[in-house]
Amino acid sequence: MSGRAGLREVQAWIRLRADDPAAVSALTVARRSLAAGRGLESLRRFRLFELRGKLPARAELEDLLHRSSQFYNPHKEECVVREGPGEPAPVQPDERIVLVFDRGGERRAAAERWWAHVTGEPIEVREGVVWALRFAPGVDAAAAAADLAVLRGQAHGLLCNPHAQEHRLSGAEVALPWLTPDPAPERGSAS
Amino acid sequence: MSAPRVAVIQFPGVNCEAETVRALGRAGLAGEVFRWTRPARELGGYQAYVLPGGFSWQDRVRAGALAAKDALMETLAGEAGARGKPVLGICNGAQVLVEAGLVPGGDGVALALATNRMGGRSGYFARWIHVRVERSACVFTRDLPEGTVLPLPVAHGEGRFTSGSRGRMAALLDAGQVPLRYADAGGGIATTFPEDPNGSELGAAAVCNAAGNVLGMMPHPERAFELGQLSRCIPGEWAVRRERASETGTAAGEPGPGLLLFDGLRHHLEGA
Repeated sequence: MSGRAGLREVQAWIRLRADDPAAVSALTVARRSLAAGRGLESLRRFRLFELRGKLPARAELEDLLHRSSQFYNPHKEECVVREGPGEPAPVQPDERIVLVFDRGGERRAAAERWWAHVTGEPIEVREGVVWALRFAPGVDAAAAAADLAVLRGQAHGLLCNPHAQEHRLSGAEVALPWLTPDPAPERGSAS
Repeated sequence: MSAPRVAVIQFPGVNCEAETVRALGRAGLAGEVFRWTRPARELGGYQAYVLPGGFSWQDRVRAGALAAKDALMETLAGEAGARGKPVLGICNGAQVLVEAGLVPGGDGVALALATNRMGGRSGYFARWIHVRVERSACVFTRDLPEGTVLPLPVAHGEGRFTSGSRGRMAALLDAGQVPLRYADAGGGIATTFPEDPNGSELGAAAVCNAAGNVLGMMPHPERAFELGQLSRCIPGEWAVRRERASETGTAAGEPGPGLLLFDGLRHHLEGA
C-alpha cells in the first residue's frame, strides 16, 4: 500500500453504468469463436487507474477523481476507490480477473499534469483495462481465463496482444498496487 | 475480358469502403462492397480482397481484434493461403490482418500494431507522409523500383508495427516483407516524428507475408489515387505533377501515387 514514507497507492475502478458495448462484443466473439470462451457466462470491463503519491484522504480523493474528465465521466460511469489490499475490488468471488495495459504506455501524463495543477502535488497515474470473467460450473476457470487472455492465433486468445501489451491474472482478491511497479528502495534502506 | 472482381470487405465501423471501390475502379478492377453479413463462402467468387480503413467494431477490445475472429477471416485465410489470392489491408484492415496472424503469416500472431509513440503527444494522428519502396516480392509494390518515394496520408492512433520477439522486424525487413518504410521527401528512412508518424520499428509502414500476396499497410493509398487529392503541403516530384495538372484543370482525373499500388494488383491479376 505504501512505498516510500508518505507515499501511498490507491486504485480507482471505473465502469459504465449501462451495458458495456466492448464487453458485450468480446463476450459474443469469445463464445462463438474461441474454445476457451464456450464456458464463459459473463464478461465485465473496468478501466483501472492506479495513483501513487502524496494523496489526500478518501473524500477529497474521490472528489478530485469526480471533477476531472481525465479519469471518468460521472454522468455515464461510476467509480469505486480502493485504498488498500484489505478493501475488496468491485468484482465477484467467482470471477477471474485479467488486467491488460500497453507495454510502456500505461502512464497518463495529462492526468498527472491536471492533478499537479489542481493540488500542487506531483503524482503518478497509470491506467489499464480490467476484464472480469465468470465461467460456468465445471469449467477450469483459471486455465480458460489464461487462454482467453493472451492472443496467440485465430483460435486462441483475445484480450491482450503480447507483442505490445502486458497482462496479469488474478482471482477476486486483487493486488494493490497491481499496475504500479514497486518503488525504488530509498537510499540507504535495507534490500 | 471482364475486369477482375475485388471484394472490399465491410465490417461494421469500416468507413473507407466507397473510396476504396473508386480507387479499384480507376485501376481497372471491379471493386464491390462485401458486407460482413453475407455468407463467407461467397468470398470464393472474387479474385482479390481489400480490408479498408475505419474502426471495425468501434475498435472494441483493441483495433482489429474482434473482426480478426470473424468467420469471414477464416475463409479469407484459406483464399490467401491455399489459393494465393491477394489481400490488401489498409489501416484498420492492416490491424485486422495482424490480429488474425495473416500478416506476417506463419504460425500464430507475430506482430502488433500498437499505440502510436509520438514523443510528448498521444492519440490519433493524421498527416501526409512519405513512404519509400523497399526490395520485396509483394504483389502490390514489386512493379515499383526500389527507392521510389510516394506521398500518402496516414490517420490512425494505433499504427506502430512492433514485435515482442527481439529482431523479428529486422528479420522481416531482410526477408523482403517490409515493402514500405516511412521516409523523408528525399527518400531517407524516417527515424523521428513526424516523418515516422507512429514510432514504428525500422520505420515500417507496411508488412506482407512471405509469399507477398497479403499486405497490411497503415497509409491510405485510396485517399491519393488522383492528383487532385494531394495536399498542397507536399514537396517534390508529385507536387510538380499536381501543380501542372491544376494549371490545366485536370488534377482530379490524373493518376496519383496511391493508384500505383492498385495498378500493381491489376498487373498481378492480369498475369495470374
